[in-house]
Amino acid sequence: MIKKIALSAVLLASSLFASGEVNVYSHRHYDTDKKLFKMFEDKTGIKVNVVKAKASALIKRIETEGKKSPADVLITVDAGRLYQAKKEGILQPIHSDYLIKNIPENLRDKDNEWFGVTIRSRVTAYKIGSGMKDKLSTYEDLADPKFKGQLMVRSSNSIYNQSLMAAMIAHHGKEYAIKWAKGVVSNLASSPKGDDTYQVKAIANGIGTVALVNTYYVGKMAGNNDLSQAESVKQIKIFFPKFKNGGTHINISGAAVAKYAPNKENAIKFIEFLTSKEAQKVFAQENFEYPVLKGVENTDIAKAWGTFTPDNISLNELGKYNKDAVIAFDVAGWK
Amino acid sequence: MKKSISKIKISSVFLTLLISTPAIIIFLYLFIGHSDNWQHLKDTLLFTYISNSLYIMIGVAILTGILGFSTAYLTSIYTFKFSKFFHYALILPFAMPTYIVAYIYGGMFNVAGTVTQFVLRVLDKNINEIPFFDIMSIEGAILVMSFVLYPYVYLICKSYLSFESASIIDAAKTFNLSSWQILRKVIIPISRPAIVAGVTLAVMEAVADFGVVDYYGVNTFVTGIFKTWFGMGSINDAAKLASILMTFVFLLIILERIQRKNKVFKSSGKDFKPINKVKLTGFKSFLAFSVCFIPFFFGFLLPFIQMTYWFAITYKDIIDEEFIKILYQTLTLAIISATIITAMALLFVYNIRKNKDKSSSVLTQIVKLGYSIPGAVIAVGILSFFSFLDKYVIDFFTSSYIISGTILAIIFGYCVRFLAIGINNFEAGFSRIPHTYDDAAKMLNVNERRTFFTIFAPLLKNSAFSAFIIVFIEVIKELPLTMILRPFNYDTLAILALELTQQSQFAESSVPSMFILLIGMISVLLLAKNMNKA
Repeated sequence: MIKKIALSAVLLASSLFASGEVNVYSHRHYDTDKKLFKMFEDKTGIKVNVVKAKASALIKRIETEGKKSPADVLITVDAGRLYQAKKEGILQPIHSDYLIKNIPENLRDKDNEWFGVTIRSRVTAYKIGSGMKDKLSTYEDLADPKFKGQLMVRSSNSIYNQSLMAAMIAHHGKEYAIKWAKGVVSNLASSPKGDDTYQVKAIANGIGTVALVNTYYVGKMAGNNDLSQAESVKQIKIFFPKFKNGGTHINISGAAVAKYAPNKENAIKFIEFLTSKEAQKVFAQENFEYPVLKGVENTDIAKAWGTFTPDNISLNELGKYNKDAVIAFDVAGWK
Repeated sequence: MKKSISKIKISSVFLTLLISTPAIIIFLYLFIGHSDNWQHLKDTLLFTYISNSLYIMIGVAILTGILGFSTAYLTSIYTFKFSKFFHYALILPFAMPTYIVAYIYGGMFNVAGTVTQFVLRVLDKNINEIPFFDIMSIEGAILVMSFVLYPYVYLICKSYLSFESASIIDAAKTFNLSSWQILRKVIIPISRPAIVAGVTLAVMEAVADFGVVDYYGVNTFVTGIFKTWFGMGSINDAAKLASILMTFVFLLIILERIQRKNKVFKSSGKDFKPINKVKLTGFKSFLAFSVCFIPFFFGFLLPFIQMTYWFAITYKDIIDEEFIKILYQTLTLAIISATIITAMALLFVYNIRKNKDKSSSVLTQIVKLGYSIPGAVIAVGILSFFSFLDKYVIDFFTSSYIISGTILAIIFGYCVRFLAIGINNFEAGFSRIPHTYDDAAKMLNVNERRTFFTIFAPLLKNSAFSAFIIVFIEVIKELPLTMILRPFNYDTLAILALELTQQSQFAESSVPSMFILLIGMISVLLLAKNMNKA
């Protein structure tokens, strides 16, 4: 009897919702996302259900939920976690001509199990008038003693630093990367702490002169209600370093369809929407991220930073070397 | 009578098993093979994790002990300028989310902080030219945590002192002891169980913290657990670290118990008369005022002023229909959880009282362990436990998940995490009730239910109320566990505050934080009022 009631309740529930919803597990936490989800709902009538947490926690949740998992879409703020999710076997290939046509090859998985949605670049910010403009060149060069007592970075717990280090390993191997990290650590103005905002504020206020930051943080600081953030941004400039044998380090926010997604079609529609022109415009204009779709314009603030050539390594490498990156940080004493 | 005793015992055994399952699951990871990561951890950071965590534990224990006890002592025994105000005000920091205070202090006192920069401008100096204490350091983390967590000690000591000290002080006075001698020879020794209970909670809370240490760049067990899990993708090794942390805290509790044996003060229970407070004047009054003002100022007033300013400039952007929904969800979740946890805690402590056996007290120590495990790790244990239930038990009834990813999972998580708070409150409460009462009831052949409702219940009302309120506030502030276990489209005020800070929207995050604070403040005032009645 109980079984019957439960079964009919589930059937009723699924007939009410199943066709019209998509369940999203997201590591992103921005207001722009809320706006985009609303836009998708208005456009398609498909309800977006969201649960947000750290990517590794979401991956673990999908993994433990197994075949019964309600997850349709997994969104992360880096390629490394998507690589990990694929390795855990919780994703499935996405068959979408739109995505394959519009997302550049280096910004998606080779088996089409995940696609980049936005791009972030990790660059240097320097204090105006510090004379650093002429000294900055490559990421490798940041380990040079000429920067002694000048650098500000956040801790190695940051996924953004881990990805940069993974890229360094991909370019030069583990041993070199450890040596590089040791060099950077010996150049620090202060021990690693705070977020990217703190690094910008610190160099603006004379603690060190060069900081490693993601560009979109700087964009968001410029219009922040907390005026000390906006003030700090006025005193710094962005410089796009390159790898010696590559370009400027980039990472993505990416999306994937979960292996047992109950609303697979809606999930694909949802990811296609996130990479549509209208959605890409919101990412670029309101969150200062770089669009993955060609032809979408950046904000004036982002334009003023200048242009850059993205690094040429596959984003898969970031996932492949993430663990090695964490280990390298520990060995080098990068807190 | 025997039957109902065994019922309580059986229930507490069952609940212990249920509550400790997530911890047991985490422990089991200890036996799942070694990986290279583990060797790496041992070679590089394990020692740092241990030493930093110990440093924080010792620092927070000493500071919260001093701040909490001294303020409780002064406001219970003396009257001085604003002493009535402090009675309430000293509890307020408890309503502050620790990580929000850490962000605020960072923004004020770090190298780029507003206060630092202001001082530099006034002095016309460069940062390198003045002795500078960097708040974003391990010592800074200890300070921030202690100023927010000392109310644990204050609350428990205060209710203990107001209840116990009158007759003892009178007795001590007949021996012609000075106030200082009474404090040293009588009040501190008899307050020890209360101080230890409060300090233990504060220390457990500090050692499980993630927000403060992560932002301040301090490596502890918890940052290690997160780094190993999120950075190296190794949940096994993260769970191993968590197991070590748990063992560590368990040993600490046992050591404390062994040491405290035979030293627990037992009330004569003859008379519970109110204290005749001594009036302080002149310099002594000023001194007492200062001792109380410092923790109030740093734990509450200063961060509150900053929050108010930020709130004023951002509330219009944040408060909307969605926000009201989040507020409602947070409140209902906290009320339900606090009710369940208070009831459970009472059951556990009553079981010890009734059965007076070792096993009952061991059960209680086991369930208290949850408080030392980081919320995110408990969440992993719960996920594994519930998906097992869902897969193999519930599967019989339905094809979809009914426990995992529901409110039920979160409430269960809170029980695992916060039962210790409830239990500590009731332990303090029970310790005030003389055992002669139980014996008298037995001799008069009064049945157990009646003994409970006519003797214990009225005497435990205050403990129950403070257990409820403290758990209620903790639930409202809780973050990692709620984040990982929550259902779709389910946010709480704490999560909203965190999301805003992750976007570096510190000013905007003051809006949900302010609501957490206001709800906390109202609860805290009720708590203080209740303590007054006692």
